[in-house]
Amino acid sequence: MPERKKTPLLLGLAGLAAAAFAVFHLYHVLIPFLLSFALAYVISPLIGRFEARGVRREVVVVGLYAAVLLSIVLLANTVIGLAAGQLQDLQAQGPQYAARAKSFLDATIAGLNGRLPAGLRLPRMIDPKELQAQAIQQVQNLPGYLLGVFPVLSLFFLIPFITFFLLIDGGDLIEGFIQRCPSRYVEQVLHLTSEIDMSLGNYLRGLILVALAIFCASFVGLVVLGVDQALAISLLAALSSFVPYAGAVVGAVVGGLAAGFQFGTAAAGFKVVGLFAAIRLGDEMLLQPYIAKHSVDLHPLLFLLAFMAGGELFGFVGLLFAIPVLCIVKAVLRVAWAWYVSEEAMGSPEIADAAAIPYV
Amino acid sequence: MLKQLRKIFFNQQFAARRRFLKSLALFRDLSDRDAGLLAQALHSRVYHSGEVIFEEGEIGRALFILESGKVDLVKSGATIFSVKPGDFFGEMALLEQLPRTAKAVAAERSQLLLLYRSKLDALQVSHPRIGVVIMAHLAQLLSARLRRFSQLPGSGAAPDA
Repeated sequence: MPERKKTPLLLGLAGLAAAAFAVFHLYHVLIPFLLSFALAYVISPLIGRFEARGVRREVVVVGLYAAVLLSIVLLANTVIGLAAGQLQDLQAQGPQYAARAKSFLDATIAGLNGRLPAGLRLPRMIDPKELQAQAIQQVQNLPGYLLGVFPVLSLFFLIPFITFFLLIDGGDLIEGFIQRCPSRYVEQVLHLTSEIDMSLGNYLRGLILVALAIFCASFVGLVVLGVDQALAISLLAALSSFVPYAGAVVGAVVGGLAAGFQFGTAAAGFKVVGLFAAIRLGDEMLLQPYIAKHSVDLHPLLFLLAFMAGGELFGFVGLLFAIPVLCIVKAVLRVAWAWYVSEEAMGSPEIADAAAIPYV
Repeated sequence: MLKQLRKIFFNQQFAARRRFLKSLALFRDLSDRDAGLLAQALHSRVYHSGEVIFEEGEIGRALFILESGKVDLVKSGATIFSVKPGDFFGEMALLEQLPRTAKAVAAERSQLLLLYRSKLDALQVSHPRIGVVIMAHLAQLLSARLRRFSQLPGSGAAPDA
């Protein structure tokens, strides 16, 4: 490798190591910034559509924030009112749910005891009052699970605030970096940013699409099945889907339990589990081929490894950012390989053969 | 009043860049919106006098458009062409990744727009019309150059039909 090509590689590796060290030690502080960056990154193509028509970026961003704020104010009476209504219903119907669950469990235990030898019979361990309290507590906690995923302060204040500035600045960060980059490496930097942009952008936009699809499909399905906590469970499933494959599992478990307690029958719970299985299947058959076509092409074992490493190092946030980081690593390796092999770059032999024909 | 409102809501600098792009032979048939999308795909960089933009023999990966200033294309120590504002060079990088056949040096403080190949590829996928227009003009440009070369005495090429 020529000497001049070693310097940026070594600098790049040193920078990467420093960034990894900083992220590992400061990731709690970085969480709102990372989430804001992801949000700004996903929203920016929408801003770009208006910007391409000549509208000022600042005007579009302020307009977007005003529209979101207006939507929140308008929806506050309907969606929040609906959620509050659901909770009140739940409190009122809690004792009934508990009674149904108790009779179901009693019947199941009695049925089992009738078939088991005397020495193996199950004791009546379930205290009806305790079961009732636990059931009410668990179902009431559903909104808490939802908000517990992210800190409330970050979700409602800090993230929109940071996202606003990131959106206003747009591509200035990359432009500034390109301007400061030594001129002979500009094309390589463009190559790298372009690869990361395509891989990461498509993956993140794909995730948003999946989350929206899971929210809509599960909300409609749960409403049809008559589950009281449809809105909360759908939101929880949609948010969980940012960790690939988790959305349907979380929706099935929480929704299945909620439906089971609500109706007092296992069949109701299994119907919800079936609904989320169908949603997962639909996602796999309809959305994933589209997303994968435009996104990062990685072996499932690499996904698994990234999740395990991300979860081990940074907990839930690690799970959330495992694949985006994997996208970046893959883009860096692709670019490094492209630089390495381009030393031997030659034109296509087929084109060279065709070029021998005189220009007539 | 209307002019003031336009200034507030519309980016005059972006509009000027869009007009500039549409004035180039390579992009002349693009609509305003398509030129806007193309402008978003470009990166801008200022090169100071004497700064090397790329070396001869390096693998080309981007097309360069000179917005202002002057750039010299140098081969074996001799300037073979001086690029003026509105000209573009390095367009072969959009077709194949081959070594550059000359060195490019900023002869004075110059503002360049860079179109990276994969950005154009992405545009071709999302907005095929833009790709078709650019590729058609690039083919015309290549054809014109080849025609000119084949008409040179002693070029060894077959006479142009």
